[in-house]
Amino acid sequence: MKPMTSKERIHNILNRKPVDRIGSYEHFWAATNPQWIQEGLMEKDEDVSDHFNFDIREHWSLNLVADTAFGEKTVEEDEDTVTYLNGNGATLRKHKKHTTTPEHVAFSVKDRNDWEEKIKPLLKAAPDRIDFAAYRKARENAAHKNLFFTLSGINVFEAIHPVCGHENMLMGMALDPDWVSEMASTYAELIVNLHEILFEKEGLPDGIWYYEDMGFKERPFMSAQMYRELIGPAHKKTIDFAHAKGLKVIMHSCGFVEPLLPDMVESGIDCLQVIEIKAGMEPLRIKKNFGDRIALCGGFDARNLANNDIPAIKRELDEKIPALKEGFGYILHSDHSVPESCTHETYKFFIDYGLRLGTY
Amino acid sequence: MSKNQELYDGIMKGNRNKVIEIVQKSVTEEVNVEEILNDSMIPAMREMGDRFSRNEVYVPEMLIAARAMQAGLSLIEPALTKSGHKSLGKVCIGTVKGDLHDIGKNLVAIMLKGAGYEVDDLGVNCDVEKFRASVDRGSKVILCSALLTTTMPYMKDVVSSIKGSAAKVVIGGAPVTQDYANQIGADGYGSDANDAVKMVDSLLGVKA
Repeated sequence: MKPMTSKERIHNILNRKPVDRIGSYEHFWAATNPQWIQEGLMEKDEDVSDHFNFDIREHWSLNLVADTAFGEKTVEEDEDTVTYLNGNGATLRKHKKHTTTPEHVAFSVKDRNDWEEKIKPLLKAAPDRIDFAAYRKARENAAHKNLFFTLSGINVFEAIHPVCGHENMLMGMALDPDWVSEMASTYAELIVNLHEILFEKEGLPDGIWYYEDMGFKERPFMSAQMYRELIGPAHKKTIDFAHAKGLKVIMHSCGFVEPLLPDMVESGIDCLQVIEIKAGMEPLRIKKNFGDRIALCGGFDARNLANNDIPAIKRELDEKIPALKEGFGYILHSDHSVPESCTHETYKFFIDYGLRLGTY
Repeated sequence: MSKNQELYDGIMKGNRNKVIEIVQKSVTEEVNVEEILNDSMIPAMREMGDRFSRNEVYVPEMLIAARAMQAGLSLIEPALTKSGHKSLGKVCIGTVKGDLHDIGKNLVAIMLKGAGYEVDDLGVNCDVEKFRASVDRGSKVILCSALLTTTMPYMKDVVSSIKGSAAKVVIGGAPVTQDYANQIGADGYGSDANDAVKMVDSLLGVKA
């Protein structure tokens, strides 16, 4: 088969149609690429996606924070961390020296009444929630290079817990499921309406990428039934909207979400990313059970990359790529993000050898 | 005293109001609160832990059961203190230095308390000194949690600094494995929250 453009390749992969090779994409921890630049292995200001010729470019264009004008107000600061209040009424603490998910300190929303009073009235689909210019620029750049361009962002699970915290959200699923369902429905409507506004003004992307961290080690946060009843309908609403526009949907989830997968597929996802090995996910098993319905992206143990264990990386690629490339529908990616201990040489081996094995 | 089925069921179902009602009545009637705790409340939380391990219940059910348990405990604590009640032992728990992810750590703490342990919750971003200070305060087991591959290596520092003392170190979290625990010389590894409780039981010779 003659070489395809990235846009053609990912389009076909998401439709599980013939391609010249598997796709490629990656996420990196914030310190990884600067280190490679410092070592002279990447150009200053060079985009790592350009450096490794990844097939996908993403843009996060929407702001779902309740009070968009609030910003972040520092509450406390020490040598290592900053504690701040944000526009969701949440008090969070983050590290100064490295990027990571912030610690949840406190939430002003603890139940339905707080939600209805403090958050829901603010969730209007207003243009000031959309970065039109940045979307336009990113979309044009991707189109210019024939890359597959996704509008990326959070979906309802990742929108709700920043407002009330994981514990209040999860307890709400058991104590007041209608409240959680209502929050999910509100955010789904907001997301769809913002997409409508953006697409009407700037045009469509090539696909949509939703980030939803619904699992942790060896189990999802909720049962399949809770997903089906409380979160699934909101996912379906947003995915149905994308499909109506002719857009395929990639859904990210960290953690072990295999028990939710039948219902996630029912909700309409076209591709599952990131397939976290250390949480218990197994790409070959998922390929066998769901490969006829969805494409996959990820599933290579980032710990091997972190340890620069080339023999283990090679062994894993040799074992998995032949099976994952069958029937098309696979995009090469680690099982989370590449940490700073991974050398440029190691990552280059991973992507080069993986794509060599993944060429049809 | 035999198991109070209504109280046991109230905790299992996370029915906080029912638990408060039953426990308050017991306190008013001067029923032996230690027996209530040992025969009904702790067995209910241990059973929830086992069901969690078998994927029969998930985090939402665990959280509301713990909330109900905590409500009941707060009512009997004064009487427990008065009677000289002793917990199964004092343990401490925290996420390691650099790691601010506390959901998993909180779940383990909840289950340890529910199982009858006194828990010194050190919070997040704990350095070696913080863990050592808890050992000085009487903690027999240190439970270290890490979510990230980038923060996990600090567990080795904790293990090294505790070696030679009487305290044991149990590690857990998304990137952590039994192999890693062996590699750094930790005394135990918990694959999930309930497994961590069972590991503490084993290290302290507690028969549940």
